[in-house]
Amino acid sequence: MPEPMPQPVTDLPELNPIIHGKLRLALLSLLSTVEEAEFIWLRAKTNSTDGNLGAQLLKLEEAGYVAMEKKFVLRKPQTLYRMTESGRQALTEYVQALKQLLGAAIDA
Amino acid sequence: MAELTDRQELNDRLNLIETMIAEGRQSTQSWGWTFVLWGVAYYVAITWAYWGNPAIAWPVTMVTTGLITALVAMRRSSGRPETSLGRSMASVWISLGVSLFLFGICASSSGHADQHVFIAVIATMLGMANATSSLTLRWKPQFACAVVWWAAAAVSLFGTVTESSISFLVAIFLCQIVFGIYMMICEGREARQGRKEGPSHA
Repeated sequence: MPEPMPQPVTDLPELNPIIHGKLRLALLSLLSTVEEAEFIWLRAKTNSTDGNLGAQLLKLEEAGYVAMEKKFVLRKPQTLYRMTESGRQALTEYVQALKQLLGAAIDA
Repeated sequence: MAELTDRQELNDRLNLIETMIAEGRQSTQSWGWTFVLWGVAYYVAITWAYWGNPAIAWPVTMVTTGLITALVAMRRSSGRPETSLGRSMASVWISLGVSLFLFGICASSSGHADQHVFIAVIATMLGMANATSSLTLRWKPQFACAVVWWAAAAVSLFGTVTESSISFLVAIFLCQIVFGIYMMICEGREARQGRKEGPSHA
């Protein structure tokens, strides 16, 4: 019986470049576990700088994966982020694609 | 594309997702101190009611402890995100607190509940809250607390006044003080592990 041909590279899924960035992936993974999170909490969890974190969150916001809300709690400003439905969908698809690629890498 | 299909990098991404999800979930677990605080509060109220003024001992102790819990919890949770699980747990314990407070005030002022019924109702409600929490969090040690509270409720109804009092004191010690300290040790261990395995990618 002939051995099955290895899958051509073109059949493998592409990883979403917006999510693939390490910090953006970390942020989406964190936000997937909570309803909403403050900027300072995200900064602490990812050990990132204000500038880098703000830039990556903006990219995710522009892609529609996270939503930002500014509000005042006890006169203190708070910047809250939450994952949108399309963000959740994109992360799920990214994980599936990642698993598929890893499977293909093991088979190869 | 060659970079993207690099196996090590893909594994790193998968590990990163797992680490971050664990980090996010870890942030909701720090409540052992409330068990110890309320356990001490029950003992203070019992002692005060026995040797001092029973009419004000319970309401004053419970309201004060409730305020301390709310203040400390607000301070500790500042900047921490809200999760569905955290909110459902808070709902269970806040509802329990309100129920116990209303029952305690009404039962003591109306005089319709003797010590057997009083302890049995309180122990049953505490058992229910611990069981709900344990089943939601899938945490077996807390279910043992629920069983102890339910046993204390049964002893209170079927035993003498002395047995009822002893069962209540023992249940407080085991389910509030001992369990609270155990919870704090677990939380401390988790926090240390979290710091050790913390993210170093950003």
